Amino acid sequence: MGTMMTSSALRVPHEASNFDEVSMQQSLIFADSLKHMFVQDLKNLRTQLYSAAEYFELSYTNDDQNHIVVETLKDYTIKALVNTVDHLGSITYKVNDLLDEKVDEVSGTELRVSSIEQRLRTCQEFINHEGITQQSLVINTPKYHKRYILPVGETMSGTNRTKSKYQGRSLDDEDDWHQFRNAVRATIRETPPSTVSRGHSPSPSPRPPQRSAIFSFTATMPKKELDKRTVSPHRFPLLRSGSLSSRSVTPSSTRPTTPNSSRPTTPNPNPRRRYPSEPRKSASMRLPAERENGKDIEQYPSKSKRLLKALLSRRKSKKDDTLYTYLDEY
Amino acid sequence: MARAGGITNAVNVGIAVQADWENREFISHISLNVRRLFDFLVQFEATTKSKLASLNEKLDTLERRLELLEVQVGTASANPSLFAT
Repeated sequence: MGTMMTSSALRVPHEASNFDEVSMQQSLIFADSLKHMFVQDLKNLRTQLYSAAEYFELSYTNDDQNHIVVETLKDYTIKALVNTVDHLGSITYKVNDLLDEKVDEVSGTELRVSSIEQRLRTCQEFINHEGITQQSLVINTPKYHKRYILPVGETMSGTNRTKSKYQGRSLDDEDDWHQFRNAVRATIRETPPSTVSRGHSPSPSPRPPQRSAIFSFTATMPKKELDKRTVSPHRFPLLRSGSLSSRSVTPSSTRPTTPNSSRPTTPNPNPRRRYPSEPRKSASMRLPAERENGKDIEQYPSKSKRLLKALLSRRKSKKDDTLYTYLDEY
Repeated sequence: MARAGGITNAVNVGIAVQADWENREFISHISLNVRRLFDFLVQFEATTKSKLASLNEKLDTLERRLELLEVQVGTASANPSLFAT
């Protein structure tokens, strides 16, 4: 008891700086007053009980009416016990109430701290997200449709990546075009000389220099390679001519083509589908170089049609006249 | 007379014994109630100690969380570039 009194007496109210500290101080003062009051009451009860015991002891020894003294002592004991029980009940109730109040306050404070933590976590996640967005090197490259990709050599405001990609495609197309020409050449060479001479006869005289200029690849190739190609098992690799012819018609350095591997290679009677570069080209996207050479561009579809017809007739009647004529014209 | 005096003494002894038994019964009742009160006080002490321990634990956890929050807020306040858009 004395220790509790000392500890409670040592609590001196300090200057409160804000509302929370004031309320905490008030609650502490209330708890101290509660403790002090009930401890003081219990201490007074203790002294009263001791004094009552001494009084009844003296009365029992000195007085003749012992019976009355005993009865009075009994009544006093019962009343003191009941009073003590009431007092302790009141104390325990108040202490329980104070404890529950503190527990509720702590629970409320935990909720507030959890809310602050959640808000801080949300802010942290937002900061992290913004940091990732700032630090990520995602470049939104402009994506154009295939038909809007400018050819090599043209000025383009887009990235170099698309341009280089298209350049690679044009080179591939050129290789395919060379292979195709070599295959056609080999097929023509395999035909009897009478047919070749017959094919050459209708061609005009100034054609040969033009043809030699076009087929420079064939001319520069060694003869061994040419022979190899003539005896290669791919006797007629023109099965891919459905898609290759469309690429070959367009000049590889000036007109872009979109190689589509998923397109069927079987001969298609519809020439529109066989030459996708021509109908897909919109008038607004035509290049100035093409506009200057408008006649050549208009001749490409007709040449392509003739090439297709020649290929079809080649498969049916094995006649190379038309094909050779086309090659001569080209 | 002697027989009457003996009977009276016997009656008095009987009355005294009965009173003594009554007093003993009263004291036993009082002691029983005091023990019940003591048991209640012991139980109350245990309950209060348990509640105070849980409250102390909660306060410790809360204090640690508040310290962590204080450090985080201090770090964020020391880095104003984090809030720059």
